[in-house]
Amino acid sequence: MAELATVCPFCGCGCGLYLHVIDDVVVGVSPSRAHPISQGRLCVKGWHAHEMVDNPQRLTHPLVRRGDELVEASWEEAVEVAANGLRKVADSAGAQAIGVLGSARCTNEANYVLVRFARGTLGTPSIDCSQRIHSVPEVALNAGNSRPGLDTGQIADLDESDLILLVGSDPTEEHPAVAARVYRARQRGARVISVSTRTHPLAALADVHLPVRPGGELKLLGSILHVLLVEQGMAGDADVSGLPELRASVADLPPEETQAATSVPAEAVREAALLYASSKRATVVYSTGLALSLHASAAAQSLENLAALGASGAGPKATVLGLLSRNNLQGCRDMGVAPDLLPGYTALGDDAAVEKLERAWRCELNRETGLASWQMMGKARAMYIMGDDITRTMPGAGVAREALASLDFLVVQDIFMSPAAAMADVVLPAAAFAEQDGTWTNLERRVQRIHRAVSPPGEAREDWRIVAGVSGAMGKPISYEDAQQIFEEIKDLLPVYAGVFYPPLAVNGGIRWPTAQPRDAGGAPAAREKIGVAAPPEDALKESAAGAETSDEYPLLMAADPTLRPWDGEVTVCHTLTAAGEFTVMDQDYPDGMLCLNPEDAKRFEVRGGRPARVVSATGEGQMQVRVTDEVPRGIALVPYNQAARSGPMEVSSQPVSGRPVLAPTPISVGPVQ
Amino acid sequence: MTARMLPKNRIEEFVGRLLEQAEVVAPRRVEVGDVFYGAVASAEEVAWDYGHAVEPLKRFLLPQRETMLRYSTGDKVRVEAELDEQERVFLGIRCCDVTGIGVLDAMFGGDTPDPYYMSRRERSTVIALTCLQAPDETCFCVCCDAGPFLAKGYDQQWTSLPEGMLVEVGSERGEALVRSNDDLFDEASVDQVAARYRLAREAEQTFGDFKSYIAGAMSKLSMNEVDPKVWEQAALRCMECGGCTYLCPTCSCFTVTDRMEDSSGVRERHWDACLYSCYAREASGHNPRPEREDRLRARFFHKISYQWAQRNGRQACVGCGRCVVGCMAWAHMPAITEGIRRGVMT
Repeated sequence: MAELATVCPFCGCGCGLYLHVIDDVVVGVSPSRAHPISQGRLCVKGWHAHEMVDNPQRLTHPLVRRGDELVEASWEEAVEVAANGLRKVADSAGAQAIGVLGSARCTNEANYVLVRFARGTLGTPSIDCSQRIHSVPEVALNAGNSRPGLDTGQIADLDESDLILLVGSDPTEEHPAVAARVYRARQRGARVISVSTRTHPLAALADVHLPVRPGGELKLLGSILHVLLVEQGMAGDADVSGLPELRASVADLPPEETQAATSVPAEAVREAALLYASSKRATVVYSTGLALSLHASAAAQSLENLAALGASGAGPKATVLGLLSRNNLQGCRDMGVAPDLLPGYTALGDDAAVEKLERAWRCELNRETGLASWQMMGKARAMYIMGDDITRTMPGAGVAREALASLDFLVVQDIFMSPAAAMADVVLPAAAFAEQDGTWTNLERRVQRIHRAVSPPGEAREDWRIVAGVSGAMGKPISYEDAQQIFEEIKDLLPVYAGVFYPPLAVNGGIRWPTAQPRDAGGAPAAREKIGVAAPPEDALKESAAGAETSDEYPLLMAADPTLRPWDGEVTVCHTLTAAGEFTVMDQDYPDGMLCLNPEDAKRFEVRGGRPARVVSATGEGQMQVRVTDEVPRGIALVPYNQAARSGPMEVSSQPVSGRPVLAPTPISVGPVQ
Repeated sequence: MTARMLPKNRIEEFVGRLLEQAEVVAPRRVEVGDVFYGAVASAEEVAWDYGHAVEPLKRFLLPQRETMLRYSTGDKVRVEAELDEQERVFLGIRCCDVTGIGVLDAMFGGDTPDPYYMSRRERSTVIALTCLQAPDETCFCVCCDAGPFLAKGYDQQWTSLPEGMLVEVGSERGEALVRSNDDLFDEASVDQVAARYRLAREAEQTFGDFKSYIAGAMSKLSMNEVDPKVWEQAALRCMECGGCTYLCPTCSCFTVTDRMEDSSGVRERHWDACLYSCYAREASGHNPRPEREDRLRARFFHKISYQWAQRNGRQACVGCGRCVVGCMAWAHMPAITEGIRRGVMT
């Protein structure tokens, strides 16, 4: 039995683990103690990571559609059909009519080659990754952060902090390795403040928990800033640009004023703000609960403001840690899987940089801004999907399925027959994480090696090789020897990956980019040259004040909670045999949606746990199964985001700045099924 | 006590002879410094001064995933069991892990012996290596009568002295190993035996702050006197990762699955964990332990209640401390037993 060090393929934490291999079969997993993230721990997903590799339901042969059926084909045939199909759409509707989706599950190398394929070979600017809808740092990016995709926080900051502020984040569900640090920090005396609608375990254990009403996040953070800047007159030594504007923007937000919008008692807000101010070193953690709220960008900027104030000497030194939901969501972004960027955050208008890429790739690139994944729905005529779970990530009942069904041509490469693959014209079987070499970049920009431990099943191939094959069939060969050669090119071409070398990545924990990030002696980010804060846009504050009003007719506010059971129904965890029960049971028990209600509301509206309830909103009605729990405050009904995204009466609206689709909180009434 | 000396310069020769007859599983450093028990090809590979292994020995007796049998249907039904018949010597194993094997033996070797486990167990020789100091800050075997030195449960127990290994023999199998390699072993002197007892006392002084109030917790658990709110509070601190059970030398929950293809199939056994919400869930959807606190109570009852201790021959915690390291949150054995003692989780 050989142990091979690699990285966990699930969330963005990037834990180190060992695969146990006997006779070319992965038979088990062990945690790595020496690894800086896992430190000897794994969550339920990581402990079973081997099970999806050797799952009998893996795709093993290329498939081509014949009528209603997908039938086995040779690689040559399948690649030919894929190339012809894409070419046909490009000829009739133009290359822009082709949408390409990369994947936060796949390697940096595969995503990099996919960008070259999309913008070079196909000539379409519409390349994206639908998991990005849940992405976090981009929120800060959209808020005008001058450090593209770059967040100074790292997971180890939690070990140094005497205060941890969790905003819209339940790491016990989403980022277990982060939760492990929070539990340990708490145990050694660090204080915890939680801001989230649901009282998740770490919220229940927090020193102060602010159960914010969905939509009230921005106002609540504004009130915290009001207490600090206006009531406490907090000020640092260094000049802070934008501070007068920020102070003015929160002047009218004393906690008493925002109480109606946030449902949080003013005293609790004040207690939280003062506790924060009294700490020396803080880590501010936020996740999908904030990223998928309507005013995510402005709210994330509020958190950045806290860190900027700390850097100026006002309040604790703080780092902001935005948690990404998927193992390589960061890398996906780094590689330029986005409609508005090129690899390495190269701007589309940066002619010199684009020409450098064109020379290296020996092709002309499409330099336009393309369609984002949600814009492709209904607009693209053909799609090439590499390991993206679009039917799960795209909010809106049936939106993705309908869009895929209406395509003229669809190619999907994946390791399982995902819902998208089942609708495809060509299905290309890919190697799983344990079957290919390459790198992933975790949520703190730690570039880590993954290892080929076993052979892929049947004829499955590495992702980058499949894409290169299709490109070749379209007359634009992409030739690399192996993943290492691709990585060497990445680090030579992309300044952000400079200093990150491939071979030393075998070192446990990899290398964080940028390699020369300055830190002071205490491990905190070094003082910035220029410290600046930004006030939230006025209309954002006004809008969030209006919010969704409940009424006598619709007395409950229903919201989608992305931190609640985020992994249920996900294609890879559903194929990890032993753990699958954990991730399929919600859809079994609550097939129409798990409607979480406070016990008092359940009593008031005469519905029972485990039973269906009638849910009525101004725009429609339906049925959901009830779960009664103290975790949800009175007057609120929470539904797991991934269930709400595919069914239910919640309207899809779009975030300002990013334009991303989000599910808007909706007033409802609830009653027993007659 | 029968004690011999294996002088330093003969250890390599002895391991070499073991390798001729069996697979030798010993602590070894892999990749970036983590230590695992694993098959070695020479004495050189053995990390004698290794601290603690990331995992116990369990994987070699109860694999995380194992094939039980292969079958085919059709005209004639064929079933073939797949037994692991490899001879193994477990060399240099920590005392806690050796004690853990005894608990697994009680589970799998009782009234209805498990042929898969027993096939491996009957072909294994266990050579313990005593701890001259606590291998890890999380170790608490001193609370659990499972180290740093053992009085029983091993075939041989080795203690590292400056001149070589003091070898205590604890079974007929251990004695046979000495007899068949008689030329390598010397008689141990009175001083060497005395040194072993002095070292054992000194080693006990080196253990750290993690301690486990097993006896008190056992009494309260067995008599159903644990305050229910302890379990509710513990449930806020358990993330249901299963790590404590997978890393535990004595936990043995498993699940059995069939992989069918057309008319033939493979039956496999996988580790499972009583903490998982679906572990005890029935086909009807009914779950006898629906809440996390129910499952935590069941797990710790199994670990350290008097009722189970009577069946296993001892309580099922050996103080290896791996649940402290592996717990995603803060619901490991020392935390829980302290919670039971205080009536509240800190």
